[in-house]
Amino acid sequence: MARSLWTGSLSFGLVNVPVALFTAVRDLDLHFHQIHEKDGAAIEVHRFCSEEDVEVPYEEITHGYECDDGSQVIVTDLELEAIEPRKTRTIDIEQFVDLADVDPIHFDHPYFLLPAADDDGASRAYRLLLEVMSQSDRAALGRFVMRAKEYLAIVRAGDGVLTLTTMLFADEVRSTSEIDAATQKAHKPTPKQLNAAVAVIEELTCEWDPAQHRDRYRERLEAVIERKRKGETIKAPESGKPPSPAPDLMEALERTLEELKTSGENTNRQPQEVK
Amino acid sequence: MPRSIWNGTITFGLIAVPIKVHSATQDTGIHFHQVHARDGAQIKQKRICSKESKEVPYKEVAKGYEVRDGEYVLLSKDEVAAAAGERSRLIELEQFVCAGEIDLVFYDRTYYLGAGAKGQSSYRLLHDALVKSRRAGIGRWVFHNREYLVAVRPLDGVLALHTMRFADELVDADEFDVPTPSRAPASREIDMAGQLVESLHASFEPHDFEDAYRARVLDLIERKARGEALTAPEVQPAAEQPDLMAALEASLQSSGGTRRSTRSRSRGTARSSSGSSRRRTGGRR
Repeated sequence: MARSLWTGSLSFGLVNVPVALFTAVRDLDLHFHQIHEKDGAAIEVHRFCSEEDVEVPYEEITHGYECDDGSQVIVTDLELEAIEPRKTRTIDIEQFVDLADVDPIHFDHPYFLLPAADDDGASRAYRLLLEVMSQSDRAALGRFVMRAKEYLAIVRAGDGVLTLTTMLFADEVRSTSEIDAATQKAHKPTPKQLNAAVAVIEELTCEWDPAQHRDRYRERLEAVIERKRKGETIKAPESGKPPSPAPDLMEALERTLEELKTSGENTNRQPQEVK
Repeated sequence: MPRSIWNGTITFGLIAVPIKVHSATQDTGIHFHQVHARDGAQIKQKRICSKESKEVPYKEVAKGYEVRDGEYVLLSKDEVAAAAGERSRLIELEQFVCAGEIDLVFYDRTYYLGAGAKGQSSYRLLHDALVKSRRAGIGRWVFHNREYLVAVRPLDGVLALHTMRFADELVDADEFDVPTPSRAPASREIDMAGQLVESLHASFEPHDFEDAYRARVLDLIERKARGEALTAPEVQPAAEQPDLMAALEASLQSSGGTRRSTRSRSRGTARSSSGSSRRRTGGRR
């Protein structure tokens, strides 16, 4: 089993549940190093003073904040440490909310929460919270401090286990007010168009099956590395031309529906380009 | 209008929807430059070849994938782009799913979609049809030389695009052993815990939660700019674990008093009509 990233207790009211935090995401990305193409040697990043052009040891580096007027305020590591959030060992549940009210846009990183202590009391308190939350479809909102940063987190009941997801703060989510969502009356679809579009969507609907979608980028990148290793040369593909919008929406909808119906049980239907 | 970061076309069936992609999230963190303490000059980073000990210009930098200790396969930018996939200006919604079926754990980053040139009617049509059918469209998006699995769904009157995690990136809950307590929670405990959850129930108001750390950093910068001295933080003692039942009882009692502000609006109307329903922000006990 993976190592826990944080241990502490989940507290709501006066109830404390000792828990340990585990990441729910594994990093499967391929990571690259910077290499000097000429001699194949690894590239190191060194810090230089822009004024003196000499290398600066780590101890001589501090933080500069540039103010709007162009002046600079120097802040040291010690000063930043002094304002770090208090290193509490609790996830303080402040409220319970309806999960349906929390849009996924707020979600950041998912984790699992497991009972930390190997004692029966801890395990019972954990089980209690899990049961109550699965029954009510409520999720708990709280804050906790991990690695000197304070997080807003949502805790919910998963499949026999509590999950925690860190959340974005409200000011990290932009407003939609300036997005052109074509809300003018002229762009409103007619009931006939809307029904046809819904029919197309329903024809193309299947069950959400996440395992069916593979990371083709990672697979192709692995293949490129393998081919390169064997000494092959690789060319980037040319990008196709995107289709232009149909002059007559209703016609495009009807043709789509026709095609979807004639293709019948063919599961691999490919929509065609609009001329 | 925020600048778009990508322009292209979404298709479903034979319908083409020209769209512009905008970031839906932003980094509000406070960023510092690295500065040389002695003279206040900014630090520059230089790429140095570990063999020659000389600075390397950017055009001589390649991406190296380490296949064995110290042995790299070098890829140029073009070769990395070869992995991105074709049809780079197209997001084809190959299938639709019931939006409620997608577990929240799959959602990664969010973008807003705006209507592209001549695409207003088809944009509105897709938006309204997704609202009506309660579906999300699933497709692939090539962005910055990388192909993403994406879900397109209506959000707050606009179309939103989420990049999605792949199933193999997610750790399965089965990989963990959740110990079973010697006896299940008693129905009275479940009942009381349920009451406690209800007493702390509130509607989700994202603005009730502020990043208190950001405010503290800004405050620190201001105080430093004025030349003030600073103090060390205090350490909070660890909480004690009392008896579960006693803790539930005591919590319910105290939630009737001090927790009034977080009380459910529907349940708490009779008792908290005079109180503000907004929580104070950044408050810590």
